[in-house]
Amino acid sequence: MKKQKAKLRKRVIIAAVFAGILVLIAVFSGVLAPNDPYATNSELIRQAPSAQFLFGTDNLGRCVLSRVLIGARTTIASTFFLVAISFIIGMIVGMLCGFYGGIVDDILMRIADLMLAFPQMVVAIAVAGILGGGLGGAMIALGITMWTSFARLARSHTLSIKNEPYITAARLQGKNGLQIMMTHIMPNILEPVLINALTQIGTTMIGISGLSFLGLGVVAPQAEWGSMISEARAYIQIAPWAVLFPAAATVITIIVFNYLGDAVMEYRKAE
Amino acid sequence: MSIKKQIAKRIAELIIILIILSFLTFLLMYLAPGDPAEKRLSSQGVAITKEVLEAEQERMGLLRPFMVRYGEWFTGILHGDWGVSFKDDLPVAPKLISGLKNTTILALSSLILSLIVSIPLGIASAVKKNSVLDHIVRLLSFIGNALPNFLISVLLMYFLCIVFNLFPVVADGSIQGLCLPALSLAIPMAGRFTRQIRTEIMEQLDQEYVTGLRTRGVSEKDILIHNVFHNASGHIFTIIALQIGTLMGGSVVIETIFRWPGIGKLVMDSINARDYPTIMGFVLIMGTIYVVINFISDVLYHVLDPRV
Amino acid sequence: MKKKLIVLFLALCMVFTMTACGGKGGGEESSGSAGGTLKTAASFAYPSIDVHKEYYGWYTSIYGLSEALFKFDENAVAVDCLAEDAVADGNTWTITLKDGVCFSNGDPLTPDMVIKNIKRLAEVNERFAYLGDFDWKADGDNKIVVDTGKDVYPMLKNDLASPECGMIDLDATKDFDKDPICTGPFVITEFNPEGDVTVARNENYWGGDVKLDGAVFYYMQEDDPKLLAMQSGEIDCYNSVSSGALEVYEKEPDKYVVESVPGTRLQYYILNENRLDDAVREAINLTVDKEAIADYQKGTVSVANSPFPDSTAYSKVSIPAVDTEKAKKLLEDDGYTLGSDGIYQKDGKPLKINIAYYAARSLDTLAVLIQEELKAVGIDSYLTVEEDPDSTYIATADFDLALYCMISDKCGDPQYFIDSTLADGAYYNVGGFESAECEEMIKQLKTEVDPDKRADLANKIIQIAIDDNAFGYVGLFNHTTVMKPGVSGFAEKIPFDFYGVDANTVMQ
Repeated sequence: MKKQKAKLRKRVIIAAVFAGILVLIAVFSGVLAPNDPYATNSELIRQAPSAQFLFGTDNLGRCVLSRVLIGARTTIASTFFLVAISFIIGMIVGMLCGFYGGIVDDILMRIADLMLAFPQMVVAIAVAGILGGGLGGAMIALGITMWTSFARLARSHTLSIKNEPYITAARLQGKNGLQIMMTHIMPNILEPVLINALTQIGTTMIGISGLSFLGLGVVAPQAEWGSMISEARAYIQIAPWAVLFPAAATVITIIVFNYLGDAVMEYRKAE
Repeated sequence: MSIKKQIAKRIAELIIILIILSFLTFLLMYLAPGDPAEKRLSSQGVAITKEVLEAEQERMGLLRPFMVRYGEWFTGILHGDWGVSFKDDLPVAPKLISGLKNTTILALSSLILSLIVSIPLGIASAVKKNSVLDHIVRLLSFIGNALPNFLISVLLMYFLCIVFNLFPVVADGSIQGLCLPALSLAIPMAGRFTRQIRTEIMEQLDQEYVTGLRTRGVSEKDILIHNVFHNASGHIFTIIALQIGTLMGGSVVIETIFRWPGIGKLVMDSINARDYPTIMGFVLIMGTIYVVINFISDVLYHVLDPRV
Repeated sequence: MKKKLIVLFLALCMVFTMTACGGKGGGEESSGSAGGTLKTAASFAYPSIDVHKEYYGWYTSIYGLSEALFKFDENAVAVDCLAEDAVADGNTWTITLKDGVCFSNGDPLTPDMVIKNIKRLAEVNERFAYLGDFDWKADGDNKIVVDTGKDVYPMLKNDLASPECGMIDLDATKDFDKDPICTGPFVITEFNPEGDVTVARNENYWGGDVKLDGAVFYYMQEDDPKLLAMQSGEIDCYNSVSSGALEVYEKEPDKYVVESVPGTRLQYYILNENRLDDAVREAINLTVDKEAIADYQKGTVSVANSPFPDSTAYSKVSIPAVDTEKAKKLLEDDGYTLGSDGIYQKDGKPLKINIAYYAARSLDTLAVLIQEELKAVGIDSYLTVEEDPDSTYIATADFDLALYCMISDKCGDPQYFIDSTLADGAYYNVGGFESAECEEMIKQLKTEVDPDKRADLANKIIQIAIDDNAFGYVGLFNHTTVMKPGVSGFAEKIPFDFYGVDANTVMQ
């Protein structure tokens, strides 16, 4: 058993190291970038990877490697921020609904239904129109539907444990709802909801990119993986590197964070 | 509460939701920059003049106050009239029905496809935790979940249509045309389902009742099928139900690339054209779908999870 | 549960084997007989083929269904089609119809029918409502006399060449949306609203033999599928080729024939005179290097030496060449000093302009490139992106430099563009451009009949705007067509977007 735990611990550390490296890359991308990520050059359009440009150049002759590095910051930061906010809101709403039931549950869940049915694009366009363009509008548009999935999941897990003996015991001890939710329910439902949060990272990154492509997310020339992919995809047959490297960066980032989530979860279970 | 009462209550709630939803959507459309008459007149990039624009706005009734326009739409809906599209003056209802039909076909086939893959893989990898199989399945599901759908669709199209010559690029609305879009939707979905199913099954396997059953000598297979999967199915249904809602909204990218005339593309085009009536109709349908799905998943959840 | 799953699985397996077997079939059918069926892709698909409404006429013209009284040739000049000629005398136009023109059902095209068509167009299409104000009279069995009222209207012939002015047999047509009876070389056989369209040869075509048996227009919005379908041989030609696809085709010249002519879709920018003083505007125009910008958009864009294609008579203006040294000097003379960050400043305030754009028609690329070029001479900028330009920066004039893309020439005449962007109070004249001299000449242009004098006036008007540094004309999209070897006559040499198959389109 101990051996097993040590092994799991090692996995958490490995995954955390990788995730840490990614975050460091994002933070120090400005220093790491070998070329100016915004410098265009008509002589260097769509150059294949070479010693000077390890990942080649894009449609405007910009260094893809530098843009991938700089883009890490935009993509990772905005994704995490959005997932975290949605996760927190979703957890709170879900627990309230599951624990109290009745009218609270009804109202909050119907609000969730309401939010889900909103077409994201309408929200994105309206918010961009009202607040001005940029990542903020895109994040609100995605967040408005995203928290609901966390809420539903948290609620269904709360429901399934709320009649467990230890909750009843806590009630009999005179603990109030808030205490029970914080000390008994949350730790027990955290894992599955966290897994959902981790699987949302990919969709969120893609969602932010999708809106960027339509001019509702990042504003040019800011580098962002998704919009880099979108900008380069028309040239996938002649300059595949301009699509594949940001795509690989996205896929690798998601895999690392998913793996970290899994490792942490299993380690906690073993305790 | 009896099931009849439950249903009546949900219907009442649904109506309130739809009223709020439609109002908010109308308001957002109103606040968003862009005007249906202008969008319509400039669709081919020809410059417009103020006089023509105003005449068109007048004709389309866009110059009246917000509440009058919303009120008119609302009364129409009460009489079963979904209105005519601002984009092309065609009735909205048939447009939505045809889009919805196509999207449903695509959604169901991709859902079935991904479940066929992910249920066995999810269970197997949970049971054989940390085995080689588990690692491979997890890696694949990680990758699948991480792929942007337009990348999948363009790659699938390139390899299956050009390199291996298995499918035509120009597919019609037949079963043949369904394969590639369904596959493109199913790949990331299967990745996600596999992970979630694996988590749920592992959760169940750790429960005390499993140990109890094992000590009583019940075979692993029986435990897995009769108890574990059965108990986990409540959560699994919640996961699937959530996905159905998203699927029914349609996927703009996939519907466009594979020329599948679903509701996603219809709504995207409508938003670009600021086609209020179509968007409002879509919102009503989606609101209803979400409420119904959530209701069904709640009911199923109660039926399937013995502990509740 | 288990059983159901197995059944489902089997069903799915069957579906897959079936489709795999049927795999390729669809693409290869019927190329037999004389002319063959041309397969092509259309980027737009409308819900109706009612020629007069909206822009549906553009597509009925592309499909080879409808024809107007006149059509445009390669030099954007309106030439005879259903009508022989139209001659103006003061405020009266006399249109002479060709002999023997008939609809696909054999009914002849009469002057009365033409007038009825124009009346209907004016009624159902707001953009052509003005045609209803004129007085139309039939004269004999092949002439129409149009009285344009108190003002001379020199544009009538060109306007009548617009695809929306296509002729429909109004008496015989029962379903205007799905089956209008027209005069074109093809007739509709299958119309899917907002989907694919199939046409077949019009056996009664008045203009002689139609070479093709028919044509299929697949609705494909995205560039990738068009490229892939062309590569797999499922379509024979298409136009509006993207620059990514263009490079693929140019690598294999024996497999693809690419034809590219400068089109009429203009990328340009408006400089806000209310916010930027003369020196800054001039400096910007001396800095923006349209040759370099066109280089980035390899092959899809030509440098705009004026708002109009170089081949036209009204494109003869002179724009100063790029001169960054002069630009810097202008700024310095205006009181700007170069800061330590390489950006000019005046009274301690850095020179930073707002570039507004929307992400379509490569304007995002333009925005980034212009920003870079300006930065190199010491003008800082930030980009603002809008989803809808018309109701945001065009309406509010909240910009320093606004990018826009529009068709600069829709009917072989400069007046439309001048009216839209330069006239006082025009919808797109939002940068504060004003010139009494210009206004006077615009008034003359409205009534000038002689094409040479019109071109001369237009050149003078545009030159004023250029000298005032009110605008910057950057690029004109090329009308690019790709075809399999042996395919020709797909309007590949005409600068307009609204032509496609005609009687002379051939394959092999």
